[in-house]
This record gives sequence, C-alpha cells and structure tokens, in this order.
Amino acid sequence: MADYRNRVGGVYALTVFTPILPGHEDELRDHLAALPLGEEGPLARLDQLHVSRIQIFDELVDQGPPHRRETLERAHLLFTSTIDGELDPYLDAICERIGDEADGWWGHCAGYPGTADRAAFRRYIRAHKIDTNLLAVANPGATVRDVRESLALRERVVDFAAEVQGLDATALRERFLTAFADVR
Amino acid sequence: MSATAPARPGNEIGRMTGLTLFTPVRRAWRPFLRLGFFVAWHAKVFNRHILQFNFIKFVRWTIVRDLPGEGLSYSYMLFESNFDGPWQHYIDAFAYVIPKDIRLTWGRGINFPYPPPSEPLKAWIARNSMEGGTYYCAYPQASTRMVRSALEVRKRFGALAREAERLTPEEFKAAYERFLVDAQAHL
Repeated sequence: MADYRNRVGGVYALTVFTPILPGHEDELRDHLAALPLGEEGPLARLDQLHVSRIQIFDELVDQGPPHRRETLERAHLLFTSTIDGELDPYLDAICERIGDEADGWWGHCAGYPGTADRAAFRRYIRAHKIDTNLLAVANPGATVRDVRESLALRERVVDFAAEVQGLDATALRERFLTAFADVR
Repeated sequence: MSATAPARPGNEIGRMTGLTLFTPVRRAWRPFLRLGFFVAWHAKVFNRHILQFNFIKFVRWTIVRDLPGEGLSYSYMLFESNFDGPWQHYIDAFAYVIPKDIRLTWGRGINFPYPPPSEPLKAWIARNSMEGGTYYCAYPQASTRMVRSALEVRKRFGALAREAERLTPEEFKAAYERFLVDAQAHL
C-alpha cells in the first residue's frame, strides 16, 4: 500500500520480520554466525544488493519507568536489504542464486514455504514485509555496478596519472587510448 | 590457557557499520511521527539535510505497529543506518550538529536522553542496539566520500575518453590537464 516509501531514486529498502519456530533460536543464531562474510558469503551473489543485515530479534529493551516493558511471545528473524530496482526481481534472484542458503535461515521460521516455490516465497516475504516510513540514500542514482565500476576506474585514473607524468602530447594520447580503450 | 577468538560482530564489515535500534514510541506521538516522516519524505530537502553527514550511505526509519503473533501494546521505531566508521563517532556528529532533529524523532520515546551532550545518548544507543547476526556490503572498503568521488570522476572522465580519439595530441593534452584540474578534489 505504501510501497513507494521504500524507494528513493533507483534504490529500494526491504524490511522483513518473520517469526522463528519455537526452539530453533540457538540453531539459527549459530547458522547466521557461521555464514561466510563479504565476497565469500551468499549475499555477494546478489548483484543488485548494496547492504543487508540478518539478525535475530528476541528481546524488547526495558526503558525504565513509566515504560511498561513488553515481552515477545517468540523470537523473530529480521532481514533487511537495500537494493537496486524492484522487489520481485530481487526475490527471484534470492531463489535462483542463494536458494539453499536462504532456506537455511528462513527455514527456521514459521510458515516458510521455501525458495523452490518461487510464487509462494514471494507471497511469504511480501506478507511479512513492513514498509519504510523514511529512507535517505547518499547516491540514489548509482547502482551497485555503477559504484564498483566507478571505484575501479578512479583507481586506474590515479595510477595512470602517476605513470604518464612528463610524457609529451603524442605519447600521452597514445598511452591514454591504449589504457582506456574499454572506457569509451 | 588457550586464547579464544573475539566474537564476530554482526554489524561491521570493512569500513562499514550497521546500526539497528528498536525503541518504543509513545502512543500519542505516533500520528505526529508518521506525519513528520510523510512530510520529510515528500520534502526532498530532507535527503540533503540528513546526508550532510558524508559518512552515511543509507538510513531508514520504520514504524512497527506489531509483529506476527505478538499483539504489542506500543508501536516501535526500527531505525537502521549504514555508515563509515564506528557508531560512537556517528553519534557525536548527530548529537552536536542536528540535536533538534534527533529530539523530534526520538524525543517522544520513553526516557530518551536529549542531546547534547552525546554520552547519555551513546549509552541509550548501546542499550537499544540490536546485535549479532550477519552483515553484508557490496563495497565495504569504500567510504561514502570515496564512492561519491568515484562516481564524479567517472562522469567527468567519460567525456574525456569519448573525445580523445578525435583530438590532436596537443588538444588532448590540454583536455587531459583540464580534467585533472577539474577532478583533482575527487582523485
């Protein structure tokens, strides 16, 4: 209903809370802690993913009087992602590229249908999604690919500038055309 | 006695830190908060205001009315921010530069420590921060400023690269030197 609020520019913010099956908390905690990080991790296989956090939410903090502390009936899995583009292609990418791993964490959650049934997976995530009220993005027009390519290019440009100091105009142009033949 | 490895933090990778808070909202304040977020969302100036801190990549606020199977009596605010460096530095900047914004957002929370100073706020955040789990960033070694500079370099460099072939060596050398001067701050 308020899906538009999850978006700024080309960036979409996904927030999902799913109830963890009773007795599965410790196993899920260990599973998350053992996931490889960075480029070795499953999330690195999702091309459109900027940042993501997956964590267990099992306690409401006592804020002191006059706050009446509430207790959770069960623990929940919080999955957040900041992605390029639309939600459904992202959910499809989860099914295609990290289906086993995603089943590894959401498989500990109540009612989870698995990634094998892609339509049911989409419905499950959408049913547990909470819309963002406010989102701010430093570079809303830049995709993950844009950022990675730009960082790599900047490095090449800096190296090139150091290498060509003192060259005459003809040699400089030739070196440039060779070094950056892929950029045009 | 064998040394044990420190626990792996679930909210740090490379230069990046993720901060997640889940705090109660007073019932009477919820409509104002929703309205404030609605106005801020539509007022594009907000994005510039919050992102004046050039160490924030992404930040979101989400009002959670309830969770599956819970029947919570309070609404809660889920705050997630992804930024460069440790969160203690981030909070110092917030507490002293935009204390009014912080008060408006969390000031109607329960027992919220109004900044400045920043130390009570840091203690409050440490109490309410959600820990553990796993954290991912596609470019964890690049600060927000590095990303912004790289995007700027790419934009300017593209024009030079496209023109290079049709320029004489002397024209190219002049264009290249202009590029270096223009992009100097981003290299």
